[in-house]
Amino acid sequence: MSFEQDKAEILDACIKCSACTAMCPVAAVNPLFPGPKILGPDAERFRLEGLQIGTTLSYYCSKCKTCEITCPSGVKITEMITRAQEDAKMSEGGKTLQFSIRDYLFGRAEYLGKLATVLPGLTNVLLKAPLFRQILEQTLGICSEAPLPAYHTKFETAEKDRKSKKQVVYFPGCFVTYNDPLTGQAIVKVLKHNGYEVIVPPFHCCGTPLEGNGYLREAQETAKKNLALMEPYMRAGIPLITGCTSCGLALREYPGLAESASELQAYDLFEFLWELQERNEFRKDFKDIQVSLGYHSSCHLKAQGIGTPSVRLLRLIPGVQVTDLDQGCCGLSGSYGFKKEKYHTAMQIGKPLFNRVRQGAANSEFQSVITECGGCQVQIRHGSGIETVHPVWVLMQAYGFFQLLSSGRHASSELV
Amino acid sequence: MKESKVVIIGGGATGVGILRDLSMRGISALLLEQGDLAHGTSSRFHGLLHSGARYAVKDPGSAAECIDENLILKQIAPHCISDTGGWFVQTRDDSPEYVEQWTKACANAHIPISEISPSEACRKEPLMSKDVLRVFEVPDATVDGFKIVWANAKSAKRYGGQFKTYHQAKRLIMENNRVVGVSTKNLLTGEEFMVSCDIVVNASGAWASHVTGSIGIPLDVICDKGTLLAFNQRLFQRVINRLRPSGDGDIFVPHETITILGTTSEFVDSPEENDPQEEEVNKLLEIGRHVLPGIMKNRVIRAFSGIRPLHREDHDVPGVNKEEGRNVSRSFALIDHELQDGIQGLISIVGGKFTTYRLMAEKVSDRVAEKLGSMTPCRTATEDLLPVIPEHLHKKAAQLLPYAPVEKMLERLQEDAESVLTEIQRDPRKGQMLCECEMVSAAEVEKAASDEDTHHLADIRRKTRLGMGTCQGAFCTYRALPLLWDKKEKYDALQDELRNFLNQRWKGIRPVLWGQQLRETELTRAIYASILQVREN
Repeated sequence: MSFEQDKAEILDACIKCSACTAMCPVAAVNPLFPGPKILGPDAERFRLEGLQIGTTLSYYCSKCKTCEITCPSGVKITEMITRAQEDAKMSEGGKTLQFSIRDYLFGRAEYLGKLATVLPGLTNVLLKAPLFRQILEQTLGICSEAPLPAYHTKFETAEKDRKSKKQVVYFPGCFVTYNDPLTGQAIVKVLKHNGYEVIVPPFHCCGTPLEGNGYLREAQETAKKNLALMEPYMRAGIPLITGCTSCGLALREYPGLAESASELQAYDLFEFLWELQERNEFRKDFKDIQVSLGYHSSCHLKAQGIGTPSVRLLRLIPGVQVTDLDQGCCGLSGSYGFKKEKYHTAMQIGKPLFNRVRQGAANSEFQSVITECGGCQVQIRHGSGIETVHPVWVLMQAYGFFQLLSSGRHASSELV
Repeated sequence: MKESKVVIIGGGATGVGILRDLSMRGISALLLEQGDLAHGTSSRFHGLLHSGARYAVKDPGSAAECIDENLILKQIAPHCISDTGGWFVQTRDDSPEYVEQWTKACANAHIPISEISPSEACRKEPLMSKDVLRVFEVPDATVDGFKIVWANAKSAKRYGGQFKTYHQAKRLIMENNRVVGVSTKNLLTGEEFMVSCDIVVNASGAWASHVTGSIGIPLDVICDKGTLLAFNQRLFQRVINRLRPSGDGDIFVPHETITILGTTSEFVDSPEENDPQEEEVNKLLEIGRHVLPGIMKNRVIRAFSGIRPLHREDHDVPGVNKEEGRNVSRSFALIDHELQDGIQGLISIVGGKFTTYRLMAEKVSDRVAEKLGSMTPCRTATEDLLPVIPEHLHKKAAQLLPYAPVEKMLERLQEDAESVLTEIQRDPRKGQMLCECEMVSAAEVEKAASDEDTHHLADIRRKTRLGMGTCQGAFCTYRALPLLWDKKEKYDALQDELRNFLNQRWKGIRPVLWGQQLRETELTRAIYASILQVREN
């Protein structure tokens, strides 16, 4: 079927039920935001008439994709909005120059990461300096209060082939590569502990930040580069694993981009581990630990439609208590919550979650929070002050590779 | 008893065109319409503003009229017209001889055509069949029937013209072989009264023979039913015609937010026989598939039918051959009953096409003016239909309604735009879209509901496009009810309004119940039959 026929049928599938808008985290806190139904399929019928409508407001869409997973008709609502933004950009509509430059930069997380990790120490000092942050706000519209994550020495790729029978390819993603390499190392360690050789090709950004900032075509170009890097492993039937839920969602959408990519087996880390568990191949040589955790499910994990495999898996560990917080979106949505005109919307969206986290921590219901998404971790720490890490660290602790998850300090800084 | 120089019967495009023309010449005129303006044939067509190319071979006279009027209307009513351009495409089933004949005929009628390569055509219209052999570009365009009829009515009003909707002309009043007035019934109140006048213009289209029949004058008007399909979205960017002798289902017209495929042709006995039938729908789909191969997967939101009032000049041909609709001239006839039947003060205008409504109005008005001794010439070919909308209103609308197609709203509202925008400014909640499919704000619906010439929810629909989009009234119908409740002295019981409106929608949905529209209808049924417990009486 042609792209255009497909597009026409997807638009036709909308029966105007408004479930998307009812579930939209932005529409819930911002009464001026008309929601995904109007900006997506409703406006699309007018866009086909050549009218640019709602473009400026559409930049308030956080691209969390809650609408797409909510839609009972399979309408690609976020994609529709993003494509409209891209078309508007061609005809220079909708954004100020300042915001265009900022969004151009935020879309390129990979290059920002490369630049920032030349001298990560200097970058981090600057990012913490109030004066520098004021300048960033004035010049680029990056909110001075926003929790920009610190940078670390780059996560290293490894492609050595030791001819082991059990191999996986790991897709670290920009957050692990530039901001949180220790979590990447932890994921590699857990996979190795389960008998897998871990190959890490020099992947590029998955494309989500580009898409989120309105660069759909460029995102697809980046995706194709990654697919080319995956090609030999795909042919050998080696699965692709990521611990980042936004990268994971993007990778699941890759097969539509290239014919040969149909055999791409993309897994979320815990989804993969759970399959091992079902095949009785998951190692459960756990140490005795006593931890209680609050779990936050990121929007992009939900959009993958695979449930919450990390919660299921961690509950296998004796002494581990996991409470699913179930308070919706954290609000950050990648770079969305860093933008000065959206920072407050993002904080509003996250409010129920932050309150729940603070309350749970105060009642000693749990000591810290786990969530797969790096952005959510940053935002929950910022909004609630409670330690938030990737769930792989619980496994690390249970396997005895790492001492106690402590509260108040960044766990990953205590590895090794 | 009321008085007017001229009474016009019929509030379709021709009738309002005459009202405007006469009013601009300073001749007092009153238009009587039994329903709402444009409720009949003038809104039940494909919305094509002909370039004339479709008639070039068979009816060169009509073709020449069309291209002239096409250019005039693009000048005077650009807000009602979308200058999409059109194509004539030859498929494998269409004869090459006809193509040669057609290109010559277009040249003779001075219709500019230019050929483009099939590969370029397929790139520009990706949903079109890849099997087309030749493609020609013509100056076809699309026209919004509702909008242009209302624009004429409003313009006429500015010149002192009057119109009364839901007023039925019961019979003509004669004195000594001269029509001197019209006995009229207000269908809303039941009140009957007489309007006296010097001249009656019968512009009632498919109902024209009923009007002359009241004084025993026969008028040969054939009711030719045409059924069309409305697709959920714009599938093409331009009008697409099959390059062959005109037949059923061979024109696709991108119209506002939808695409219309038409048209069938079948003689019926009365103008009321306008229920689209399943066989007609199937026929359209079968033929349309040659141009739009994915047709079964493109959502059809409704089917609708209009009645073409065709005029057959020779009284001798019996109307038995019901397949002959296309062979009767699509040109119009002005009948001065003084010359034809010896009855003074009565002119009938029958036949014709939407594209030539202005020309028809001009010819009628010239004749009326001549009879009344007026020397003022016609100005409708040069004077803009729409008053200039001040710049500050464009800005204000864009600011208050940041995601709505505000230009469309301004063009619909014209001089009422200011008050609607002020209301939204006062209460921003009224800037929310009451009809989300066609993006009509609560404030605009409220304004339409309070207009003195609005009496039913369907009148609001014709003025605003409420309920005409994807959901076919599933959500906007119940949302509009509270606004009617506020003016309940004007409206029927809300139960009746609700039921009538839904039944009108249902009439068009029933023959296209498959795929996504079936899902939509199930949702609608859940809302009204289950949650709101709406039942048949």
